[in-house]
Amino acid sequence: MTSVSRAADRRPARAGGKPTDDGAAATDGPTASGTNGSGTKESGTKESGTKESGTKESGTKESGTKKSGTNGAGPASGSALFDGYLGPDRPSPDAFDEMFDADGSVRAPYRHLHDAIAPTAAADLAARSEALDRMHMDQGVTFGLSGKERPFPLDIVPRVISASEWSRLQRGIVQRVRALEAFLADVYNDAQIVRDGVLPRRLITGCEHFTRAAHLLSPPNGVRIHVAGIDLVRDQEGTFRVLEDNLRNPSGVSSVMENRRTMARVFPDLFTRQRVRALADYSTHLLHALRAAAAPNVADPRVVVLTPGVVDPAYFEHSLLARQMGVELVEGQDLFCRDNVLYMRTTEGEQQVDVVYRRIDDDFLDPLQFTPTSVLGVAGIMNAARAGNVVIANAVGNGVGDDKLVYTCVPQMIKYYLDENPVIPTVTTFRCWLDEERGHVLDELDELVLKPVEGSGGYGILFGPNATAAELRKARKAIRDDPRGWIAQPVVQLSTVPTKVDDRLVPRHVDLRLFAVNDGEDVFVLPGGLTRVALPKGSLVVNSSQGGGSKDTWVLAATRSSEAERELGERGIAPAAPARGPAAEHGPDLTLGQQQQQQQQQQQRRPGGQVQELGGMRQEQVLRRTEARA
Amino acid sequence: MGWRIRVVHETGYKYSSPVYETYNEVRLTPRGDSHQNVIVSRVETVPATRAYSYEDYWGTQVTAFDLHAPHTELLVTGTSVVETGDAVEQVREATWEDLASEAVRDRYTEMLEFTEYVGRDGELAGIAKNLTRGKEPADAVLAACERVRDTMTYQVGTTGVRTSAPEAWQAGKGVCQDYAHLTLVLLREMGIPARYVSGYLLPLQDVEVGETVSGQSHAWIEAHTGGWWGFDPTNGIPIGYRHVSVAVGRDYADVSPLKGIYSGGSAEALDVSVRMTRLA
Repeated sequence: MTSVSRAADRRPARAGGKPTDDGAAATDGPTASGTNGSGTKESGTKESGTKESGTKESGTKESGTKKSGTNGAGPASGSALFDGYLGPDRPSPDAFDEMFDADGSVRAPYRHLHDAIAPTAAADLAARSEALDRMHMDQGVTFGLSGKERPFPLDIVPRVISASEWSRLQRGIVQRVRALEAFLADVYNDAQIVRDGVLPRRLITGCEHFTRAAHLLSPPNGVRIHVAGIDLVRDQEGTFRVLEDNLRNPSGVSSVMENRRTMARVFPDLFTRQRVRALADYSTHLLHALRAAAAPNVADPRVVVLTPGVVDPAYFEHSLLARQMGVELVEGQDLFCRDNVLYMRTTEGEQQVDVVYRRIDDDFLDPLQFTPTSVLGVAGIMNAARAGNVVIANAVGNGVGDDKLVYTCVPQMIKYYLDENPVIPTVTTFRCWLDEERGHVLDELDELVLKPVEGSGGYGILFGPNATAAELRKARKAIRDDPRGWIAQPVVQLSTVPTKVDDRLVPRHVDLRLFAVNDGEDVFVLPGGLTRVALPKGSLVVNSSQGGGSKDTWVLAATRSSEAERELGERGIAPAAPARGPAAEHGPDLTLGQQQQQQQQQQQRRPGGQVQELGGMRQEQVLRRTEARA
Repeated sequence: MGWRIRVVHETGYKYSSPVYETYNEVRLTPRGDSHQNVIVSRVETVPATRAYSYEDYWGTQVTAFDLHAPHTELLVTGTSVVETGDAVEQVREATWEDLASEAVRDRYTEMLEFTEYVGRDGELAGIAKNLTRGKEPADAVLAACERVRDTMTYQVGTTGVRTSAPEAWQAGKGVCQDYAHLTLVLLREMGIPARYVSGYLLPLQDVEVGETVSGQSHAWIEAHTGGWWGFDPTNGIPIGYRHVSVAVGRDYADVSPLKGIYSGGSAEALDVSVRMTRLA
């Protein structure tokens, strides 16, 4: 029996952030009591109140800063930290640097950040960096590298995304998740997309993760991708491109939250200069989506988080999410099925479970259907789901949607299911299973990146330009032996962001994982994300499993109201959907998300229904009202 | 007018010490198709359980049940009454060109791929190539069945449920499951979509109405040459009155009649009987 203990802070949110707190409070709960990290929703004060609340000490540092410098060699700023940053000998001169443009001036989104960092003395930076590492270690943020647990290094320079860039990204992610949801629903039903000749059947049936046991298993609210992790890169032109979808068991969101928490403690002054979007309500959205996934007849659905156990590299994340949602964290042995109903063993007897947020791979989930020797899962859970008595999140069989070959077809899916054009482009991909494209790959292999279709974590990837002749020969043979198993992409020169190496800031390549939560009505995209950085000079491999680090990722709030309008008015963010069924169905203890929704319904008549985005403020209003009522 | 056949398929498990928890899925319900019509079918267990039934990806009726009371014996009985039709006719519409077309190859891709049971083998590939020479696809199907039947010796006990086609080919002996898998290898090498069928065969041709005989679980194949049609390579006969089919799939793994897991207990003894009665 593992930690089946109800987290003490069941309240999904508090109106915790006192407006009078110093700048640090403006971000994710650095002042919050340890247990509720991002459960705290201070954004109400944050997004609107940061400016006046900032401690003015930071202003002194600011004074030495020069706004720009256009003298050739380095991006000027007059700071030793950036010496030689844009020098000709930097590893990837043609990469898009996110802080500096080609002639060395600071790009707009980074201006405040640059001004704050540039005057910092190297010694101060080192001290802060050390503090950062220490805090991070204390939090226990680790990942598994080749079977060993290591700390996930957090770089001191955040990655910044402007409000308008974000608006586009958000739209693109929402669109992608919707298209992939439609695809999964179709594939596990009668596959109209195949019947209409848009995609070949082989593409689907040949996918290792196409799960026949999930055929016709339709979740009550139709959602299969409760949580998506979409990986993006920024190419030479600075265009964001989707590199990979993760629809099965995307992890990393705890790093996003912990990175913010740590940054806010070590660099409270950085957050005082501009409005950085809050991450605090991720767990609220997740809990809401999971509860919304339960069958409609369940008045007060019980949600659990199913973990493989402490041995899992992401155990920290499992426990964090369970704690923040105020739900049980269980292992397979804590659950059992009887007559197609899932129960949890507790000290108070059996309790029915309605929704399982499982962080166990399909293969181990149900020994009756998949690996019979698995002891991590729950026998019979698939049939319980089929009978409609429990919802498995994410759904079983989602892997057919994030296969790297299927990835190449997502633009067609967007066209077919949504009749839209993709907002975010993908990376050109050659499919070795098609004769003509395979020919091209075999010819040009030394200029391409070869990836296994089923791989993840950066294993099995071959960088053509760096490969030896023997490696290329071996790879060509592997392609001929199993054409379905390989794709190739041109080398994408990932964008760079200043990263602390020794006591200097140097360009290092980054990617970005964004997290989306689908509750069946809205797709919420966490305004932030996991920026992974390749620490070795010139390396393009950012996977944490390959020795990468991470950065706090700042999404700037829109400054002008017009910009806000544009951003907030987008479809899919807070759709003007007709009011749903009676809110009473949710029972007495509404989650924050539900309150938000009700609020939203009340706000429907206002154009655009911007509640989600202005969430910070409104939520606080809602909370106050709730408190008053109590 | 076809035959009306009752099939009673009993499987008994015995454990040396009590089993506390067991989860099972059984595929014992005959399917309805152009060759046969299911009048009635049910699955029962002793001790009694609440059965849950669904149709799987391949269109087979699956009955799932779990039992949480300690037990040392478990009896699963599938009882069905089925009307069967006359010998299935061969379909001769498709030419080799049709079968090689992208549309067919994609549509029936799952029935053209090799699996663990229907494993690729150089020798079998050569044989398949020879068999197609100068023949229409439908005749090639018959030739493949004949070739397997000629080469193999029917013998119970030399192969098990996990034996793959190439292994059975090496052994030169096997049972209906091996005959079917071997035929599938040949047909898929030829580029003819082909699938595994599990079911029952009433062993006597001249069985009296009302007479109950000991039947057997059986397996045969279906090939797609413009339409699906079956043939029984073990006996070298078309699918007729005496065949009752239950499930189709790529190979045995897709149609296994009983599978389950249990905890507690050990040393199981398995007792299977199939009784078939011609009712009309």
